[in-house]
Amino acid sequence: MNRRVFVSGIGMVTPLGVGKETFREALWRGETGIREIASFSTEGFGSHLGAEIRVFQPRDFISLKNLRKMDRLSSMVTASVRMALDDAGIAVSDANRDRIGIVMGTAFGNTELKVQSARVLFKEGPGMVNPIHVPNTVMNAPAGHASIELGFRGVNTTVNHQAVSAETAIAYAAMEIRRGTADVILAGGADILSPFFYEALGRFRALSPTAGGAEGARPFDLARNGPVMGEGCGIVCLEAGDLVRGRGAAPYAEVTGWGLASSPSPPTGWPADPRGFLLALERALRMAGSAPPEIDCIQAAGNGGRELDALEAAAYERVFGGGDAKPLITSLKGATGEIFASGGIRAAALALSIREGVVPPIVGLTTPMCSLPFVIGEARHRPVRKALLSGISFGGTYACLVFEKDATESP
Amino acid sequence: MAIGNNEKRVVITGLGTVNAVAGDPREFAAALRNGVCGIGPITLFDTTTFRTHNGAQVKDFQPHATIPRGVSLKRMSRSDLMALTATFQALAQAGLDPVPEALREEMGVVIGGGAGGLLEAEAFFQDYLRKAGRAARFSRLSPVSCAATANHLTTQFNLYGPKATIMTACSSGATAVGLGRDLIRSGAARAMIAGGTEPLCRMTFASFNALKAVDPEYCRPFSGNRAGLTLGEAAGILILESLASAKKRGARILAEVLGYGVTCDAHHMTAPDVGASGAVRAMRAALADAALGPESVDYINAHGTATPPNDLMETRAIKEVFGPRARRIPVSSTKSMHGHTLGAAGALEAVASVLAITEGFIPPTIHCETSDPECDLDYVTTGARPVAPDVVLSNSFAFGGNNTTVIFGRFREEGGAA
Repeated sequence: MNRRVFVSGIGMVTPLGVGKETFREALWRGETGIREIASFSTEGFGSHLGAEIRVFQPRDFISLKNLRKMDRLSSMVTASVRMALDDAGIAVSDANRDRIGIVMGTAFGNTELKVQSARVLFKEGPGMVNPIHVPNTVMNAPAGHASIELGFRGVNTTVNHQAVSAETAIAYAAMEIRRGTADVILAGGADILSPFFYEALGRFRALSPTAGGAEGARPFDLARNGPVMGEGCGIVCLEAGDLVRGRGAAPYAEVTGWGLASSPSPPTGWPADPRGFLLALERALRMAGSAPPEIDCIQAAGNGGRELDALEAAAYERVFGGGDAKPLITSLKGATGEIFASGGIRAAALALSIREGVVPPIVGLTTPMCSLPFVIGEARHRPVRKALLSGISFGGTYACLVFEKDATESP
Repeated sequence: MAIGNNEKRVVITGLGTVNAVAGDPREFAAALRNGVCGIGPITLFDTTTFRTHNGAQVKDFQPHATIPRGVSLKRMSRSDLMALTATFQALAQAGLDPVPEALREEMGVVIGGGAGGLLEAEAFFQDYLRKAGRAARFSRLSPVSCAATANHLTTQFNLYGPKATIMTACSSGATAVGLGRDLIRSGAARAMIAGGTEPLCRMTFASFNALKAVDPEYCRPFSGNRAGLTLGEAAGILILESLASAKKRGARILAEVLGYGVTCDAHHMTAPDVGASGAVRAMRAALADAALGPESVDYINAHGTATPPNDLMETRAIKEVFGPRARRIPVSSTKSMHGHTLGAAGALEAVASVLAITEGFIPPTIHCETSDPECDLDYVTTGARPVAPDVVLSNSFAFGGNNTTVIFGRFREEGGAA
């Protein structure tokens, strides 16, 4: 089998809002989800900003029976999965449940739960560990909960590879649909901002303002001094072309290419050169049968980190520099912070850009670090036919995807 | 671009393992054949305050016995080190040490993980909780991520192919092997280091004890008196390669990955679905993927954890898939020897399955002491059998209701999955 793969629905719980309507409005307006952290005290920490989920009522999306067994990460994922299925107009039934699956990405899972488990074990002893809490400590808990709540029983996997967990999950899901093991796969990623993890990132000097200056997320800016941490979940509903056509659905985009690559790197640092990222880019473009000048828009990985943004910009200079038709480059991470398994939310944003012909601005960018066509200030209105989703992780892991507007889309 | 059959067929050219009964594949084959039990008191950490004390721990682990002296082991967890050791073994067997320059861009890594560097992070957590965070050394947390293993491997061997870490609890290793196969089949890579790694650690040990899923003595898969699993630790690594690549290099082909299937119960987070639908569908999906009928399976390498519900569910699933022939297929759980190694289990048991094919024997289920009227298959309880299986089906089932089945076959020129 070699089926076509479409994005037929999106769902999200983000610092910019829950559900595609609020998310989309915030994106086009260039709003930010970054504020002073409200859910815990950052006293004594080097950073104080974060992009938290502030308004989210899981009860609106999840049955009480299942919700009470879920941790916060699982509830965000399950709600997003329901939104994506509803958005696609797919109802799970006995006729299709074995052909619907999920491939989730999470970089760190529920880090708060991990610390709580450690606290009980090491302060109170092994006898006090509550078996009720054990299932939620596994990384595949969100995918398990979502499948129980929604009742789908097909392919079910969780990718746990740092900042490219979600992009890799989407590529994996597309591959499964292409080879025919599933008709529909909910794919994406989620991570949460926990007090412990926030503190740990601060101690690793991984957050703004690492190198002095004012705290803030400034992707691709000369004055960038580290990312701000965010949290959230984004899910895309991937569906086989024959099904999309069969039910006359109007998909957001077709997933036409993906490229995965590695490069030698310090374990938690950045590689010295962009060779690995360039390979992932080339592989994705080659599978899509696209040349670089055909790309209208890039949803970049840049988060305001000094090394990541430099590495990514260097690669774009090489691939897209020169020539006339340069893609507009945007990054969501000035508005949502770095969510790590952010690829699901960014894929949803890209799907919206393709459908509506709008490319949102990079919030926080005022003085670009180089002359690439970054979107600054206002959203741009321009047709987006082919677009690139870039995933880059510390540790030297890369996952890129090419999304295209469906040429045969019904009006 | 049409991909030829030799690019689509994926073969195994190298194996590596460190586990409770063996320090390499050769020792592993001997231990499996002799029914060696690797279960005993855990010494890796103090178990005094825990409900149970036994585990299948790797003994006398000396990373530098395999890993060249010049390789720095700094910032690597026990989990990373077991995987790196197994990978050096597997690459040597495959004739890929060093990996040729021409293959580096198209060789990747996919690892199934579980606790990752949690054993090392526990020391941090104890410190952190005692000192209320202030003086704790956060740098000790850096190897905690399971992704660290694959990162170390791509860096050590200078690889530029696809990289991923899979975490689906107890089926991670099997799914990693399946994904590795698919990445080669789809043309995304020519070769993959695929497998899983899992360390014993206090937090995992506490969790399974809290669930009362652990037999205080030793696990007894499919036995009437079975009372739970024994946790173990291991790394299992396979070198997967397109048939075209293996032939071009003149590599010795150990076996072929014929099929794989993944399903979900959508039933319960920790309890298997007694209706066995998810397991049945996983085995059927793998058979369909391999274009094989149930009559062609010679040996089933069972998930067989020895928890009362799992073994009953798996027995039912095998009966449903294989019908009247189910009772005539040898089924064994090698976990009876090397314990349940969680994230590594599917990969370790993949190594066992390939050894059964290359060494020509069916590994036994040890500790199957009493009969269970509902578990009435041929569990190979009286020692290994000198029968050479051509097709081996290996099951892995997990928390979250994840089920993965992988099918391995003796390599034949004219064979191969459709």
